[in-house]
Amino acid sequence: MNAMQLKRFLAGLALAGVSWSAVAQDVVPVVGAKSPIASLDAAQVADIFLGKTSRFPDGSIALPVDQQEESPLRERFYAQFAGKSPAQVKAYWSKIIFTGRGQPPRQAADSIEVKRIVTNNPHAIGYIDASQVDASVRVLAAR
Amino acid sequence: MNRRHAALLLALPLAAWAQEAPSWKFSGYGTVGVAHSDNRQADYLIDEFKPNGPGYTRSWSPDVDSRLGLQLSAQFTPTLSAVVQVLSKQDENNSYRPELEWANVRWQPTPEFSLRAGRIVLPVFMVTDTRWVGYSNPWVRPPVEMYAMVPVSHNDGVDASYRLELGSAANTFQLTAGTWKHDFPTATGYGGGTAKARDIVAFIDTLETGPLSLRLSLGRANLEIPQFSQFTDAFAAFGPLGQGLADRYFPSTMRLRYVGLGATYDPGRWFAMGEWGRFDTRSILGTKVAWYGSAGYRLGKFTPYVSYARASVDSPTSDPGIPLTGLPPPIAAGAAALNGALNQTLNLLPRQRTVSVGARWDFAKNAALKVQYDHVDLDAGSTGTFGNIQPGFQPGGRVGIFSAVVDFVF
Repeated sequence: MNAMQLKRFLAGLALAGVSWSAVAQDVVPVVGAKSPIASLDAAQVADIFLGKTSRFPDGSIALPVDQQEESPLRERFYAQFAGKSPAQVKAYWSKIIFTGRGQPPRQAADSIEVKRIVTNNPHAIGYIDASQVDASVRVLAAR
Repeated sequence: MNRRHAALLLALPLAAWAQEAPSWKFSGYGTVGVAHSDNRQADYLIDEFKPNGPGYTRSWSPDVDSRLGLQLSAQFTPTLSAVVQVLSKQDENNSYRPELEWANVRWQPTPEFSLRAGRIVLPVFMVTDTRWVGYSNPWVRPPVEMYAMVPVSHNDGVDASYRLELGSAANTFQLTAGTWKHDFPTATGYGGGTAKARDIVAFIDTLETGPLSLRLSLGRANLEIPQFSQFTDAFAAFGPLGQGLADRYFPSTMRLRYVGLGATYDPGRWFAMGEWGRFDTRSILGTKVAWYGSAGYRLGKFTPYVSYARASVDSPTSDPGIPLTGLPPPIAAGAAALNGALNQTLNLLPRQRTVSVGARWDFAKNAALKVQYDHVDLDAGSTGTFGNIQPGFQPGGRVGIFSAVVDFVF
């Protein structure tokens, strides 16, 4: 990357409203810009996506939206927030599905759909690559 | 605002969420495997419903672990759902005839509370409910010492579950009540007929916080095995002492009690789990105690693990039976035969320990290959959990079991 490219890259990041910390974080949990939820810790995010809780800390219903199973973003998300590999996540859900206790989160087609869902439903929570953050969503600050 | 309004308000975001109702989901799980025993004088059996296995019947057996489960679940409304699961595995008739594992309707007015009615699994111990879903467990199979102990598998009745969230911890109470019945073919030790468990009541409390999960399970049931009545009558014919033996070993209703304690710690890179259980039948089926400990370490797609499991018996494994002194010879011979049968049966109560080493390889998105070696060490005089015992089998000996399976889900 030469100086020119770097400059353009930095300008692009600034346009997208992305901070360096977010880039380092890579995959970020998001809610709609109008959601009252501002921050969650990693364990709370993991509990919502693993169905261990159905609510945000304020008591309102949380509706998680997953990325596609093959998506590398999803693999990074579960590794970072739940400390689980794709196989571990699958084994975990197998326990719940085949005991009739629940179903894994709904899957969105891609990050654009995740953003659309969280924008339209104040209860929804998703995760996207930090580079795809825009004004329609709010990145949940880590507690 | 009354409670009904509160429930409606809770259901609102869920209703907006439902893509289309009713929605149907078809899924399944299965295992293809083989197991080998290095002892040809007895079969390695993973529970009392298995008619044969590797060892005497055949050197390598696909029947220990191979199975297929199919499930259809339906979400009718945001709060009402149903699940039907059919499972095909080797049964006591040596066939793979599919059986209805579960069929229940679930009503979940809030995310924390649910009621189910129909055929529901009875979650006696920690992995009882996922025992056949090999993919969801780290091992080839849950430790036989523990999981062969309570033969009752599911429950026709109702269950209620309530989850209480306490900050970063969640506590789930579950209460189940129902009945169970099972048809035994005449070839089994139970002598054929239908065993019935009534008045099953079970309570489970699970506390989860971060990587730690603790579980307490308590249950009771009244079990009737009609074929026992012939023994009751035979013993009762020998006066008050015979009647005493009949009451102790062959009651018309066995009052079953069990308790289980389990813990799992799984921070991601490794896991450790342990469980202890006691099953009291107040009958010829004895009081069994079992525990195990297991741990594994995850190296990418490989998860090697070790386990130690112990089965012991907390009730007599022999009995002097009917005193023969003073009995006229033909009657004494009959009494001796009864005493012999009683002691032979009591000695079948399993006492053994197993050290297992194995590894899981998540080689594909939906499938895992596992290999496991079990070193089974029988207590002196015991034939352990083995069956189809041949005259050449050495009670108290050691047996090696090798297993290889592929578990999959879809």
